[in-house]
Amino acid sequence: MENMLILASVMESIQTIWPAAALMFGLGTGFAVVLLIADIKLRIEQDPKITDIYNALPKIDCGTCGFAGCSAYAKAVAADPELLGKCSPGGAAAMNRIAGVLNLQISGSGAPRRPIVHCRGRCGDKTFYASYRGIESCISANAQPPVQACTFGCLGYGDCTRACKFDAMEVCDGLVAVNYEKCTGCGACAKTCPRSLIEMVPFVEDPMLTVACSSKENGKTTRAFCKVGCIGCGLCAKQTDLFVVADNLSRLNYEKYAPSAPMHTAMTKCPMKVIVFRGKNAPADVSPQPAAAAAP
Amino acid sequence: MDLVISLSLGFIGIVLINNLVFTKFLGCCPYLGVSGRLDMAFGMGLAVTFVTTLAGTLTWLIDHLFLIPCGLEVTRYVCYILVIAGAVQLVEMYLRKFFPPLYESFGIFLPLITTNCVILGLCLFLNIWGIKNFLEAVVLSFGAGIGFTMAICIMAGIRETLEDADIPECLKGAPITLITAGLLTLGFMGFAGMIK
Repeated sequence: MENMLILASVMESIQTIWPAAALMFGLGTGFAVVLLIADIKLRIEQDPKITDIYNALPKIDCGTCGFAGCSAYAKAVAADPELLGKCSPGGAAAMNRIAGVLNLQISGSGAPRRPIVHCRGRCGDKTFYASYRGIESCISANAQPPVQACTFGCLGYGDCTRACKFDAMEVCDGLVAVNYEKCTGCGACAKTCPRSLIEMVPFVEDPMLTVACSSKENGKTTRAFCKVGCIGCGLCAKQTDLFVVADNLSRLNYEKYAPSAPMHTAMTKCPMKVIVFRGKNAPADVSPQPAAAAAP
Repeated sequence: MDLVISLSLGFIGIVLINNLVFTKFLGCCPYLGVSGRLDMAFGMGLAVTFVTTLAGTLTWLIDHLFLIPCGLEVTRYVCYILVIAGAVQLVEMYLRKFFPPLYESFGIFLPLITTNCVILGLCLFLNIWGIKNFLEAVVLSFGAGIGFTMAICIMAGIRETLEDADIPECLKGAPITLITAGLLTLGFMGFAGMIK
Protein backbone atom coordinates (compact mmCIF):
# COMPACT_ATOMS: atom_id res chain seq x y z
CA MET A 1 0.00 0.00 0.00
CA GLU A 2 2.79 2.40 0.98
CA ASN A 3 4.76 1.47 -2.12
CA MET A 4 1.75 2.28 -4.25
CA LEU A 5 1.50 5.71 -2.66
CA ILE A 6 5.18 6.50 -3.32
CA LEU A 7 4.81 5.29 -6.90
CA ALA A 8 1.76 7.46 -7.39
CA SER A 9 3.49 10.55 -6.07
CA VAL A 10 6.50 9.88 -8.30
CA MET A 11 4.22 9.49 -11.31
CA GLU A 12 2.46 12.70 -10.41
CA SER A 13 5.66 14.69 -10.13
CA ILE A 14 6.86 13.31 -13.45
CA GLN A 15 3.60 14.43 -14.99
CA THR A 16 4.08 17.97 -13.69
CA ILE A 17 7.75 18.08 -14.63
CA TRP A 18 7.61 16.82 -18.18
CA PRO A 19 6.25 19.96 -19.90
CA ALA A 20 8.99 22.08 -18.32
CA ALA A 21 11.62 19.50 -19.18
CA ALA A 22 10.39 19.23 -22.75
CA LEU A 23 10.32 23.00 -23.14
CA MET A 24 13.85 23.43 -21.80
CA PHE A 25 15.06 20.58 -23.98
CA GLY A 26 13.42 22.12 -27.02
CA LEU A 27 14.83 25.58 -26.33
CA GLY A 28 18.29 24.18 -25.67
CA THR A 29 18.27 22.16 -28.87
CA GLY A 30 17.01 25.14 -30.86
CA PHE A 31 19.83 27.34 -29.58
CA ALA A 32 22.38 24.60 -30.09
CA VAL A 33 21.36 24.35 -33.75
CA VAL A 34 21.47 28.14 -34.23
CA LEU A 35 24.90 28.39 -32.60
CA LEU A 36 26.18 25.44 -34.62
CA ILE A 37 25.17 27.14 -37.85
CA ALA A 38 26.67 30.42 -36.66
CA ASP A 39 29.90 28.65 -35.73
CA ILE A 40 30.21 27.16 -39.20
CA LYS A 41 29.36 30.43 -40.93
CA LEU A 42 31.47 32.69 -38.71
CA ARG A 43 34.48 30.50 -38.07
CA ILE A 44 37.84 32.16 -38.59
CA GLU A 45 40.68 30.09 -39.90
CA GLN A 46 43.61 30.63 -37.56
CA ASP A 47 46.99 29.64 -38.86
CA PRO A 48 47.71 26.23 -37.24
CA LYS A 49 51.33 27.38 -36.88
CA ILE A 50 50.24 30.04 -34.38
CA THR A 51 48.51 27.42 -32.25
CA ASP A 52 51.58 25.19 -32.41
CA ILE A 53 53.89 28.05 -31.44
CA TYR A 54 51.56 29.03 -28.61
CA ASN A 55 51.63 25.47 -27.32
CA ALA A 56 55.45 25.53 -27.35
CA LEU A 57 55.53 28.65 -25.15
CA PRO A 58 55.36 28.47 -21.36
CA LYS A 59 51.97 30.31 -21.28
CA ILE A 60 52.83 32.37 -18.22
CA ASP A 61 52.26 35.76 -19.92
CA CYS A 62 55.27 37.33 -18.20
CA GLY A 63 55.82 39.92 -20.92
CA THR A 64 59.61 39.57 -21.09
CA CYS A 65 59.43 39.26 -24.87
CA GLY A 66 57.90 42.73 -25.08
CA PHE A 67 54.47 41.53 -26.19
CA ALA A 68 51.20 41.54 -24.29
CA GLY A 69 51.34 37.83 -23.57
CA CYS A 70 52.19 34.44 -24.95
CA SER A 71 49.41 34.44 -27.56
CA ALA A 72 50.45 37.88 -28.85
CA TYR A 73 54.07 36.73 -29.04
CA ALA A 74 53.05 33.56 -30.90
CA LYS A 75 51.29 35.66 -33.55
CA ALA A 76 54.28 38.00 -33.84
CA VAL A 77 56.80 35.17 -34.22
CA ALA A 78 54.67 33.47 -36.85
CA ALA A 79 54.66 36.73 -38.83
CA ASP A 80 58.30 37.62 -38.27
CA PRO A 81 60.73 34.80 -37.39
CA GLU A 82 63.37 37.42 -36.50
CA LEU A 83 61.62 37.68 -33.15
CA LEU A 84 62.55 34.12 -32.27
CA GLY A 85 64.40 33.65 -29.00
CA LYS A 86 62.81 36.49 -27.05
CA CYS A 87 61.14 34.08 -24.67
CA SER A 88 63.59 33.66 -21.81
CA PRO A 89 61.33 31.57 -19.54
CA GLY A 90 60.93 29.06 -22.37
CA GLY A 91 64.65 29.13 -23.09
CA ALA A 92 66.29 26.82 -25.56
CA ALA A 93 63.57 24.18 -25.41
CA ALA A 94 60.82 26.56 -26.51
CA MET A 95 63.05 28.14 -29.12
CA ASN A 96 63.89 24.79 -30.68
CA ARG A 97 60.24 23.75 -30.78
CA ILE A 98 59.19 27.04 -32.39
CA ALA A 99 62.04 26.71 -34.89
CA GLY A 100 60.75 23.24 -35.66
CA VAL A 101 57.25 24.60 -36.29
CA LEU A 102 58.59 27.30 -38.58
CA ASN A 103 61.14 25.00 -40.31
CA LEU A 104 64.06 27.17 -39.29
CA GLN A 105 67.65 26.29 -38.57
CA ILE A 106 68.87 28.07 -35.50
CA SER A 107 72.47 28.64 -34.58
CA GLY A 108 74.18 29.95 -31.49
CA SER A 109 73.91 28.89 -27.92
CA GLY A 110 70.41 28.63 -26.60
CA ALA A 111 71.43 28.66 -22.99
CA PRO A 112 68.62 29.95 -20.75
CA ARG A 113 69.34 33.30 -19.14
CA ARG A 114 69.24 33.49 -15.39
CA PRO A 115 69.90 36.40 -13.07
CA ILE A 116 73.12 36.64 -11.11
CA VAL A 117 73.44 39.07 -8.22
CA HIS A 118 76.83 40.78 -8.29
CA CYS A 119 77.12 41.28 -4.57
CA ARG A 120 77.57 38.97 -1.63
CA GLY A 121 77.75 41.40 1.26
CA ARG A 122 75.50 40.39 4.11
CA CYS A 123 74.72 42.62 7.07
CA GLY A 124 77.79 41.40 8.96
CA ASP A 125 80.10 42.10 6.01
CA LYS A 126 78.92 45.60 5.17
CA THR A 127 79.53 48.92 6.93
CA PHE A 128 76.73 51.36 7.68
CA TYR A 129 77.12 55.05 8.56
CA ALA A 130 73.75 55.19 10.29
CA SER A 131 70.50 53.28 10.34
CA TYR A 132 68.14 53.94 7.45
CA ARG A 133 64.68 55.18 8.43
CA GLY A 134 63.19 56.04 5.06
CA ILE A 135 60.74 54.16 2.85
CA GLU A 136 61.59 50.48 2.80
CA SER A 137 62.50 50.25 -0.83
CA CYS A 138 65.81 50.10 -2.68
CA ILE A 139 64.83 52.82 -5.12
CA SER A 140 64.13 55.23 -2.28
CA ALA A 141 67.21 54.26 -0.26
CA ASN A 142 69.36 54.57 -3.39
CA ALA A 143 68.13 58.08 -4.10
CA GLN A 144 69.10 59.39 -0.67
CA PRO A 145 72.55 60.13 0.76
CA PRO A 146 74.21 56.79 1.43
CA VAL A 147 73.50 55.14 4.74
CA GLN A 148 75.18 51.97 3.61
CA ALA A 149 78.86 52.73 2.99
CA CYS A 150 79.07 50.75 -0.26
CA THR A 151 77.20 52.67 -2.96
CA PHE A 152 77.39 49.70 -5.34
CA GLY A 153 76.20 46.81 -3.19
CA CYS A 154 72.83 45.26 -2.48
CA LEU A 155 70.58 47.41 -0.30
CA GLY A 156 68.43 44.50 0.74
CA TYR A 157 65.03 46.23 0.71
CA GLY A 158 63.77 43.73 -1.83
CA ASP A 159 62.46 45.73 -4.80
CA CYS A 160 63.41 42.70 -6.87
CA THR A 161 61.47 40.32 -4.62
CA ARG A 162 58.36 42.42 -5.25
CA ALA A 163 59.07 42.58 -8.99
CA CYS A 164 59.42 38.80 -9.21
CA LYS A 165 56.17 37.11 -10.19
CA PHE A 166 57.50 33.68 -9.40
CA ASP A 167 58.57 34.17 -5.80
CA ALA A 168 62.14 33.33 -6.76
CA MET A 169 63.93 36.22 -5.02
CA GLU A 170 64.51 36.25 -1.30
CA VAL A 171 66.24 38.80 0.90
CA CYS A 172 68.17 37.15 3.66
CA ASP A 173 70.39 39.07 6.06
CA GLY A 174 70.60 42.19 3.91
CA LEU A 175 71.39 40.37 0.67
CA VAL A 176 69.10 39.11 -2.03
CA ALA A 177 69.47 35.53 -3.18
CA VAL A 178 67.94 33.95 -6.27
CA ASN A 179 66.06 30.69 -5.90
CA TYR A 180 67.11 29.10 -9.18
CA GLU A 181 64.57 26.31 -8.79
CA LYS A 182 61.72 28.79 -9.11
CA CYS A 183 63.38 31.33 -11.44
CA THR A 184 62.11 31.40 -15.02
CA GLY A 185 64.60 33.98 -16.25
CA CYS A 186 62.06 36.66 -17.09
CA GLY A 187 64.47 39.42 -16.10
CA ALA A 188 62.02 41.53 -14.09
CA CYS A 189 64.47 41.71 -11.18
CA ALA A 190 67.34 42.93 -13.38
CA LYS A 191 65.15 45.76 -14.69
CA THR A 192 64.03 46.77 -11.21
CA CYS A 193 67.35 46.91 -9.34
CA PRO A 194 68.26 50.62 -9.02
CA ARG A 195 71.93 49.68 -8.70
CA SER A 196 71.93 47.31 -11.68
CA LEU A 197 73.43 44.58 -9.56
CA ILE A 198 71.52 41.84 -11.27
CA GLU A 199 72.76 40.65 -14.63
CA MET A 200 71.00 38.20 -16.92
CA VAL A 201 73.64 35.60 -17.74
CA PRO A 202 73.41 32.66 -20.17
CA PHE A 203 73.76 29.61 -17.96
CA VAL A 204 75.89 27.33 -20.10
CA GLU A 205 76.47 25.16 -17.08
CA ASP A 206 75.08 24.95 -13.61
CA PRO A 207 76.52 26.16 -11.28
CA MET A 208 78.06 29.21 -12.95
CA LEU A 209 81.12 30.97 -11.64
CA THR A 210 80.72 34.68 -11.01
CA VAL A 211 82.44 37.68 -9.48
CA ALA A 212 79.97 38.60 -6.77
CA CYS A 213 80.83 42.29 -6.40
CA SER A 214 80.12 45.51 -8.28
CA SER A 215 82.27 47.96 -6.32
CA LYS A 216 84.33 50.26 -8.54
CA GLU A 217 86.05 51.96 -5.59
CA ASN A 218 89.77 51.36 -5.26
CA GLY A 219 90.97 48.39 -3.30
CA LYS A 220 91.70 50.26 -0.10
CA THR A 221 88.25 51.91 0.08
CA THR A 222 86.42 48.72 -0.80
CA ARG A 223 88.32 46.80 1.83
CA ALA A 224 87.47 49.48 4.37
CA PHE A 225 83.72 49.11 4.05
CA CYS A 226 83.16 45.54 2.88
CA LYS A 227 84.69 42.27 3.95
CA VAL A 228 83.75 40.53 0.72
CA GLY A 229 84.38 43.21 -1.94
CA CYS A 230 86.51 42.91 -5.05
CA ILE A 231 89.71 44.94 -4.60
CA GLY A 232 90.77 44.65 -8.23
CA CYS A 233 94.07 42.93 -7.44
CA GLY A 234 94.04 41.08 -10.75
CA LEU A 235 95.09 37.66 -9.43
CA CYS A 236 92.20 36.05 -11.27
CA ALA A 237 93.08 37.76 -14.56
CA LYS A 238 96.57 36.23 -14.29
CA GLN A 239 95.04 32.75 -14.27
CA THR A 240 92.81 33.08 -17.30
CA ASP A 241 91.91 35.84 -19.72
CA LEU A 242 88.20 35.23 -19.06
CA PHE A 243 88.52 37.65 -16.16
CA VAL A 244 88.96 41.28 -17.12
CA VAL A 245 89.90 43.81 -14.47
CA ALA A 246 88.77 47.38 -15.13
CA ASP A 247 87.81 50.21 -12.77
CA ASN A 248 89.15 48.27 -9.79
CA LEU A 249 86.65 45.50 -10.49
CA SER A 250 87.09 42.07 -11.96
CA ARG A 251 84.49 40.98 -14.49
CA LEU A 252 83.85 37.58 -16.03
CA ASN A 253 83.36 37.53 -19.77
CA TYR A 254 80.24 35.37 -20.07
CA GLU A 255 80.30 35.40 -23.87
CA LYS A 256 83.45 33.22 -23.80
CA TYR A 257 82.54 31.34 -20.62
CA ALA A 258 83.69 27.76 -20.67
CA PRO A 259 84.38 25.61 -17.63
CA SER A 260 88.11 25.20 -17.25
CA ALA A 261 90.72 24.43 -14.60
CA PRO A 262 92.32 27.93 -14.44
CA MET A 263 88.97 29.38 -13.47
CA HIS A 264 88.79 27.16 -10.44
CA THR A 265 92.35 28.14 -9.56
CA ALA A 266 91.28 31.77 -9.83
CA MET A 267 88.44 31.06 -7.46
CA THR A 268 90.72 29.56 -4.83
CA LYS A 269 93.37 32.27 -5.29
CA CYS A 270 90.97 35.21 -4.86
CA PRO A 271 92.04 36.88 -1.61
CA MET A 272 88.58 38.36 -0.92
CA LYS A 273 86.70 35.19 -1.94
CA VAL A 274 84.33 37.12 -4.23
CA ILE A 275 84.51 34.52 -7.01
CA VAL A 276 81.71 32.14 -6.13
CA PHE A 277 79.35 29.63 -7.69
CA ARG A 278 75.73 30.54 -8.43
CA GLY A 279 72.97 28.28 -9.65
CA LYS A 280 70.80 25.35 -8.69
CA ASN A 281 73.76 23.15 -7.87
CA ALA A 282 75.88 25.84 -6.24
CA PRO A 283 77.24 25.06 -2.78
CA ALA A 284 75.61 27.04 0.01
CA ASP A 285 77.14 30.50 0.16
CA VAL A 286 78.38 31.24 3.65
CA SER A 287 80.18 34.40 4.60
CA PRO A 288 83.89 33.84 5.01
CA GLN A 289 85.25 33.75 8.50
CA PRO A 290 86.01 37.29 9.70
CA ALA A 291 89.59 36.22 10.49
CA ALA A 292 90.26 35.20 6.89
CA ALA A 293 88.70 38.27 5.30
CA ALA A 294 90.08 40.78 7.75
CA ALA A 295 93.66 39.65 7.20
CA PRO A 296 95.70 42.65 6.06
CA MET B 1 -1.22 57.19 -34.45
CA ASP B 2 -1.82 56.28 -30.85
CA LEU B 3 0.56 53.38 -31.29
CA VAL B 4 3.34 55.64 -32.61
CA ILE B 5 2.89 58.07 -29.71
CA SER B 6 2.90 55.35 -27.10
CA LEU B 7 5.94 53.70 -28.68
CA SER B 8 7.95 56.92 -28.82
CA LEU B 9 6.93 57.82 -25.27
CA GLY B 10 8.00 54.35 -24.16
CA PHE B 11 11.33 54.76 -25.95
CA ILE B 12 12.07 58.18 -24.39
CA GLY B 13 10.90 56.82 -21.06
CA ILE B 14 13.30 53.90 -21.00
CA VAL B 15 16.23 55.92 -22.34
CA LEU B 16 15.93 58.97 -20.08
CA ILE B 17 13.47 58.49 -17.26
CA ASN B 18 13.61 54.83 -16.41
CA ASN B 19 17.19 54.42 -17.57
CA LEU B 20 18.15 51.03 -16.18
CA VAL B 21 21.67 52.14 -15.22
CA PHE B 22 20.73 55.41 -13.53
CA THR B 23 17.45 54.59 -11.83
CA LYS B 24 17.62 50.81 -11.35
CA PHE B 25 21.41 50.59 -10.83
CA LEU B 26 21.67 47.64 -13.18
CA GLY B 27 24.76 46.89 -15.23
CA CYS B 28 27.16 48.72 -12.97
CA CYS B 29 30.00 46.30 -13.69
CA PRO B 30 30.60 47.21 -17.34
CA TYR B 31 29.38 50.75 -16.63
CA LEU B 32 32.40 51.28 -14.36
CA GLY B 33 34.70 48.70 -15.90
CA VAL B 34 34.67 49.52 -19.62
CA SER B 35 34.07 53.26 -19.39
CA GLY B 36 37.76 54.18 -19.47
CA ARG B 37 37.83 55.14 -23.12
CA LEU B 38 35.05 56.58 -25.25
CA ASP B 39 35.50 54.35 -28.32
CA MET B 40 35.52 51.17 -26.22
CA ALA B 41 32.52 52.35 -24.22
CA PHE B 42 30.61 53.02 -27.43
CA GLY B 43 31.49 49.56 -28.78
CA MET B 44 30.40 47.95 -25.52
CA GLY B 45 27.16 49.94 -25.63
CA LEU B 46 26.44 48.74 -29.15
CA ALA B 47 27.17 45.12 -28.22
CA VAL B 48 24.83 45.39 -25.22
CA THR B 49 22.19 47.11 -27.37
CA PHE B 50 22.33 44.26 -29.85
CA VAL B 51 22.06 41.64 -27.12
CA THR B 52 19.23 43.41 -25.28
CA THR B 53 17.22 43.86 -28.47
CA LEU B 54 17.67 40.25 -29.44
CA ALA B 55 17.20 38.84 -25.95
CA GLY B 56 14.26 41.12 -25.06
CA THR B 57 12.40 40.27 -28.25
CA LEU B 58 13.09 36.56 -28.04
CA THR B 59 12.22 36.28 -24.37
CA TRP B 60 8.96 38.19 -24.91
CA LEU B 61 8.07 35.80 -27.75
CA ILE B 62 9.01 32.72 -25.76
CA ASP B 63 7.12 34.06 -22.75
CA HIS B 64 3.93 34.71 -24.70
CA LEU B 65 4.09 31.74 -27.09
CA PHE B 66 5.21 28.98 -24.75
CA LEU B 67 5.49 29.88 -21.10
CA ILE B 68 2.16 31.59 -20.44
CA PRO B 69 -0.01 29.22 -22.53
CA CYS B 70 1.65 26.18 -20.95
CA GLY B 71 1.54 27.68 -17.45
CA LEU B 72 5.29 27.34 -17.11
CA GLU B 73 6.08 30.78 -15.69
CA VAL B 74 8.33 29.16 -13.08
CA THR B 75 10.92 28.36 -15.72
CA ARG B 76 11.08 31.99 -16.81
CA TYR B 77 14.49 32.80 -15.27
CA VAL B 78 16.13 29.68 -16.66
CA CYS B 79 14.72 30.26 -20.13
CA TYR B 80 15.78 33.90 -20.12
CA ILE B 81 19.32 33.05 -19.08
CA LEU B 82 19.48 30.46 -21.84
CA VAL B 83 18.33 32.97 -24.44
CA ILE B 84 20.75 35.65 -23.23
CA ALA B 85 23.71 33.26 -23.13
CA GLY B 86 22.92 32.11 -26.66
CA ALA B 87 22.63 35.68 -27.94
CA VAL B 88 25.95 36.65 -26.33
CA GLN B 89 27.66 33.68 -27.94
CA LEU B 90 26.32 34.84 -31.27
CA VAL B 91 27.60 38.39 -30.74
CA GLU B 92 30.98 37.07 -29.68
CA MET B 93 31.38 34.99 -32.82
CA TYR B 94 30.25 37.89 -34.97
CA LEU B 95 32.70 40.34 -33.39
CA ARG B 96 35.59 37.89 -33.54
CA LYS B 97 34.98 37.46 -37.23
CA PHE B 98 34.34 41.03 -38.32
CA PHE B 99 35.84 43.33 -35.65
CA PRO B 100 38.93 41.57 -34.24
CA PRO B 101 40.42 44.72 -32.60
CA LEU B 102 37.16 45.38 -30.76
CA TYR B 103 37.04 41.71 -29.77
CA GLU B 104 40.59 41.87 -28.38
CA SER B 105 40.00 45.09 -26.45
CA PHE B 106 36.79 43.83 -24.80
CA GLY B 107 38.59 40.83 -23.39
CA ILE B 108 36.65 39.26 -20.55
CA PHE B 109 33.87 41.87 -20.65
CA LEU B 110 32.36 40.39 -23.79
CA PRO B 111 31.42 36.98 -22.34
CA LEU B 112 30.47 38.88 -19.17
CA ILE B 113 27.60 40.52 -21.09
CA THR B 114 25.90 37.20 -20.34
CA THR B 115 25.73 38.19 -16.71
CA ASN B 116 25.04 41.86 -17.43
CA CYS B 117 22.02 42.57 -15.27
CA VAL B 118 20.70 45.23 -17.67
CA ILE B 119 19.70 42.44 -20.02
CA LEU B 120 18.12 40.00 -17.58
CA GLY B 121 16.62 42.98 -15.75
CA LEU B 122 15.02 44.29 -18.93
CA CYS B 123 13.60 40.88 -19.87
CA LEU B 124 12.00 40.60 -16.44
CA PHE B 125 10.79 44.23 -16.42
CA LEU B 126 9.03 43.64 -19.75
CA ASN B 127 7.07 41.04 -17.88
CA ILE B 128 6.51 43.07 -14.71
CA TRP B 129 5.36 46.12 -16.66
CA GLY B 130 2.89 43.85 -18.44
CA ILE B 131 3.87 44.68 -22.01
CA LYS B 132 1.16 43.13 -24.17
CA ASN B 133 2.30 44.44 -27.55
CA PHE B 134 5.11 42.79 -29.49
CA LEU B 135 6.23 46.07 -31.13
CA GLU B 136 6.36 47.76 -27.77
CA ALA B 137 8.56 44.97 -26.40
CA VAL B 138 10.98 45.39 -29.31
CA VAL B 139 11.11 49.17 -28.94
CA LEU B 140 11.62 48.97 -25.17
CA SER B 141 14.38 46.37 -25.56
CA PHE B 142 16.15 48.53 -28.10
CA GLY B 143 15.62 51.62 -25.93
CA ALA B 144 17.13 49.91 -22.90
CA GLY B 145 20.26 49.18 -24.92
CA ILE B 146 20.41 52.76 -26.20
CA GLY B 147 19.95 54.01 -22.63
CA PHE B 148 22.87 51.86 -21.50
CA THR B 149 25.01 53.11 -24.41
CA MET B 150 24.17 56.70 -23.53
CA ALA B 151 25.00 56.18 -19.86
CA ILE B 152 28.32 54.45 -20.49
CA CYS B 153 29.32 57.01 -23.16
CA ILE B 154 28.57 59.98 -20.86
CA MET B 155 30.58 58.25 -18.16
CA ALA B 156 33.49 57.52 -20.52
CA GLY B 157 33.52 61.12 -21.74
CA ILE B 158 33.69 62.43 -18.18
CA ARG B 159 36.36 59.94 -17.23
CA GLU B 160 38.51 60.85 -20.23
CA THR B 161 38.36 64.48 -19.11
CA LEU B 162 39.09 63.45 -15.53
CA GLU B 163 42.34 61.86 -16.70
CA ASP B 164 43.84 65.33 -17.08
CA ALA B 165 42.14 66.82 -14.04
CA ASP B 166 43.99 67.57 -10.81
CA ILE B 167 42.28 65.06 -8.53
CA PRO B 168 43.29 64.77 -4.87
CA GLU B 169 45.51 61.75 -4.30
CA CYS B 170 42.99 60.00 -2.08
CA LEU B 171 40.22 60.20 -4.69
CA LYS B 172 42.17 58.94 -7.70
CA GLY B 173 40.83 55.90 -9.52
CA ALA B 174 37.71 54.19 -8.24
CA PRO B 175 36.53 56.82 -5.68
CA ILE B 176 36.20 59.67 -8.16
CA THR B 177 34.53 57.32 -10.63
CA LEU B 178 31.91 56.34 -8.07
CA ILE B 179 31.35 59.99 -7.10
CA THR B 180 30.89 60.84 -10.77
CA ALA B 181 28.43 57.98 -11.17
CA GLY B 182 26.46 59.22 -8.17
CA LEU B 183 26.28 62.80 -9.46
CA LEU B 184 25.21 61.57 -12.90
CA THR B 185 22.44 59.57 -11.31
CA LEU B 186 21.32 62.63 -9.33
CA GLY B 187 21.16 64.57 -12.58
CA PHE B 188 19.07 61.92 -14.30
CA MET B 189 16.71 61.67 -11.32
CA GLY B 190 15.54 65.13 -12.40
CA PHE B 191 13.73 63.56 -15.34
CA ALA B 192 11.51 61.52 -13.03
CA GLY B 193 7.83 62.31 -13.50
CA MET B 194 8.32 63.92 -16.91
CA ILE B 195 6.13 61.25 -18.51
CA LYS B 196 3.18 60.03 -16.56
